[in-house]
Amino acid sequence: MSEVGELVHELLVQSLAAWRVAGSVARASDGALEIGGNRKDIRIERAPPHLMFRWMVTIDGRTRGAISLVAVLRQVREAIDPGYAANRLRIAVAPLVPSQ
Amino acid sequence: MNNEAIPVSVLTGFLGSGKTTMLRHLLRQPEFSRTAVIINEFGEVGLDHELLEASEDSFIELQTGCLCCKIRTDLAQTLAELLRRRDEGRCAPFDRIVIETSGLADPAPILQTLMTDTTIAGRIVLGSVVTTVDAVTGAATLEREGISQKQVAVADRIVLTKLDLAGPAKPALLRRLEAFNAGAPVLVADHGRVDSLLVFSSGFYDLQTKSADVNAWLADEAHGHSHTRHDADIKAYAIVRQEPIRAVALTLFLEALAEHCGADMLRLKGIVNILESPNRPAVIHGVQHVFHAPAWLDRWPSDDRRSRIVFITRRIPQRWVEVLLEAIGEEVADVPVIMDLPAARLIRAAPP
Repeated sequence: MSEVGELVHELLVQSLAAWRVAGSVARASDGALEIGGNRKDIRIERAPPHLMFRWMVTIDGRTRGAISLVAVLRQVREAIDPGYAANRLRIAVAPLVPSQ
Repeated sequence: MNNEAIPVSVLTGFLGSGKTTMLRHLLRQPEFSRTAVIINEFGEVGLDHELLEASEDSFIELQTGCLCCKIRTDLAQTLAELLRRRDEGRCAPFDRIVIETSGLADPAPILQTLMTDTTIAGRIVLGSVVTTVDAVTGAATLEREGISQKQVAVADRIVLTKLDLAGPAKPALLRRLEAFNAGAPVLVADHGRVDSLLVFSSGFYDLQTKSADVNAWLADEAHGHSHTRHDADIKAYAIVRQEPIRAVALTLFLEALAEHCGADMLRLKGIVNILESPNRPAVIHGVQHVFHAPAWLDRWPSDDRRSRIVFITRRIPQRWVEVLLEAIGEEVADVPVIMDLPAARLIRAAPP
């Protein structure tokens, strides 16, 4: 399994600061990232190539896939930030690039 | 009153309430063709001037800080310089000046300057004060932000914006507006389109018609009282990128901001060089929980083709925003670039 990059490592460190939650981010010997906080143990690693996910997020022994870093952040914050209530989202169909 | 005095109107309103959009519409109207514009942005990278179609020589941007805080003198000097240019025929003729304040500006010192500064006395006269109010977030903003209350209270006209998102004006919001300023008619703008003959038609500013609170604020300013202008946690910063940004990266980035920042994202606006659309930049806007679908300019407004996104936030670290965009860009680097995505999806955050 490939190592989680430094940029993602920094993103998680910065995210804890931005969310103003206590916690730590450390790199495991196999290259995964381990997050501790709110009495949760969280592990972030790259998903195996045959899966449709980019990331695997394990929280207190339960592993779920995440298709993007945005999904990783959501799962991490839900676990580590007791006061977090994600903003409700709605999807609007709109051109992502202009029609030619 | 000096017959040649030029009316200076003030367009104010909290962050993201639609000031620039409305001004852009007004400047396209024939009756606004002889208008000089002064824009004040709170941030290190100005963008509003890129979004307006005003003639270069009758347009001035004040970018050194918030108009109400640091550059009161600069405002008077800027006006004096503008008038000098007009007198000497060094700019397009104009018979009206509009000042668009930053969304965080306390209007009181601005009005005070316009009414009292000796360097411009006799040459200009305070015209009307128009305040835009976002119908989606306006009630909550009025509840929380003292500056927003001031902006509403001093208005000659209040213009409600974003009713397309909020639906018909909510009675609670209208009651709040009436509580702060019962005398100002409330107009409605539809995507910036507003009756141009009504919006700046209220004539010269008359303190007698304003509420007692407004008189008190203006009186305070006249006596040089010091106030904490802005929440110390509010920061403005910009992200500038030389390399184009993939459309999918921008979408994920906005999604993350909407999810994690909420009401602390006071304002986001930017012009973005999208990899899949090199000749037509995207203009993005976000206010608190509401992120709009990008608007596509027909062309780049200048030779500067860098992506520039300005953030006005409360307690959102700049480094987090930077790393978020970089990490998402890296994540999607292996996604094939598709140059024609006719109906892809964009995330919008619902109002609270």
